[in-house]
Amino acid sequence: MSEALPATGSRRARAIRSRPLAWLTDGGGFPLLMIMPALLVLGMVIGLPMLLAGQMSFDTINFRRPAAAGTYGPHNYVRLWSDAKAWSAVALSGLYMAGTVVGSIAVALSAALLTRRIVRFRSLARLVFLLPWTVPAVVTALVWGVMYEGNFGVINRILEHVPLVGGANWLVERQTALPALMVAQIWNEFPMAYVFILAGLHSIPEDLYEAARIDRANSLQQFLFITLPQLRYILAVTVVLLMIMGFKSFPIIFILTGGGPAGATETLTVLTFNTAFRRLDFSYAATLGILAVAISIVLVVGYMRLVARLQEGRDGP
Amino acid sequence: MTDPMGPWRLHLAPFLRFSAVCLLGTIVLFPMYWMLVVALTPTGFSRALTGFVPEQLSFGNFVAIFTERPMLRWIVNSVVVATLASALSLLFGTSCGYALSRLRFRGAGLLMMVVLVTQMMPATSIIVPLYILFRDLGLLDTVQGMVVGHISLVVPLAIWMSKGFFDRIPPDLDGAARIDGCTRLGAWWYVALPLALPGMAAIFIYGFVTSWHDYLFAHALVHSQELWTAANGIASFRGEYFTLHELQMAAALVFALPVIVMFIVMQRWIVSGALTGSVR
Repeated sequence: MSEALPATGSRRARAIRSRPLAWLTDGGGFPLLMIMPALLVLGMVIGLPMLLAGQMSFDTINFRRPAAAGTYGPHNYVRLWSDAKAWSAVALSGLYMAGTVVGSIAVALSAALLTRRIVRFRSLARLVFLLPWTVPAVVTALVWGVMYEGNFGVINRILEHVPLVGGANWLVERQTALPALMVAQIWNEFPMAYVFILAGLHSIPEDLYEAARIDRANSLQQFLFITLPQLRYILAVTVVLLMIMGFKSFPIIFILTGGGPAGATETLTVLTFNTAFRRLDFSYAATLGILAVAISIVLVVGYMRLVARLQEGRDGP
Repeated sequence: MTDPMGPWRLHLAPFLRFSAVCLLGTIVLFPMYWMLVVALTPTGFSRALTGFVPEQLSFGNFVAIFTERPMLRWIVNSVVVATLASALSLLFGTSCGYALSRLRFRGAGLLMMVVLVTQMMPATSIIVPLYILFRDLGLLDTVQGMVVGHISLVVPLAIWMSKGFFDRIPPDLDGAARIDGCTRLGAWWYVALPLALPGMAAIFIYGFVTSWHDYLFAHALVHSQELWTAANGIASFRGEYFTLHELQMAAALVFALPVIVMFIVMQRWIVSGALTGSVR
């Protein structure tokens, strides 16, 4: 659609000049009119809080020391710089992201490859792999909490019958807590990856496989030299989206372990929440929140670049 | 054919694939199945289960969560908050989605970037300053506060998804409307918006579910039990009835079931909507 004002002298141009309102509804001000409601709301519910977070991060808002409020300075950032707990939280977030991304992609890719050429019960099979998506994170946490329970949880009862594998008090022991949370998260989020990968698989031209069969390529070769290269962009986008989801993850971790045992699962989001609402140090929590936003911006920029490349790949030769 | 395994492979491959689908499907479905089994077992008896099927069926857990705890009240709160948050987000977000889809204007790229970042940054970063802001504005522990909090979750989603739906409507249609004398606003209101209505319905449902599922805002912004939403209410069951798994699972099932059923009914629609929202 052309953006320039209609030629001078036209009825519309005259209308726009005579009525300022027409500049908004029909002239150059139209985009402004259209984005204004969203801008106002975003400004109020996100912009204002983010500005306040910036201010808070230089203030000292700690409900345990109310008298300190108004003491401004870069002290929260100095503290962040040398705070081993904060950087360990960043590392835990990274570990959690890596684990859930690898796990979700592995499950989703297997499920997609298995259900791709299925003929009978096709939609049933797909429904099964999509269903965990509809389960709220809160419910995921409760269900896995019940299954992980150390004394009579169903997982330990199943493992009793498996030789060489012992049970564990999954969420209470230091070594098992984080992987146990990852499994719950993977179960909840892999369907998103499944949808994307399935869509990607269906966009691969069938004649590529026909040509490969004529050349007597076996299924492993077909997977390595046709499927994977054809899927690479959609896989990359899925990985970044899963990374963002893993980084944002809060309810599953918070409800199941609250960051424990002894900080073993205190990722950046959980640490931010605990710093504010358990240790009541809102200023430092705001500083941690800003660090999290900075990390998200890096992830989103990566995501946008990938999507741009994906669309280029689609339109190009 | 020189391959001695040839005929075998022909029969084996579909069978192996079928078994693998069944195995993976069973594992994926098991947590939901187990939630149902435990929820239907009489209170206190799930620890005595030896097999994978319920030994006695009982609906007592469902009665208990509605009589012993204000479950119904929480569900009503959730419905009110989710309806308001989603409807308001749609109201504020749709025109921006259209602008991002059709109009070239300065700052469009930046706006898109901001919308994406707000959708993808951890909500814990927002909740800390929002709590202080709400404390000063007197919005803590109110339904209005919850709605405002959830709008911050749903508006970016509404903008992004409605952009996707407007992208699919041929721009020639609003062009034709303008040639026929419509203003630019008219072309949007009379032509593009009605065509995008099914999409708007999808966005409303998506926003509703996002708000219904949210735990963080519900947990941080509201303290009084009678104002809790269902997400916060059922999460509290883990602390309240720590070893009474049956009550936890009954509450979880009541909370999750409406969305699961809705998803099964409208599967195709929702999946395409989700793809629109996040890939394009």
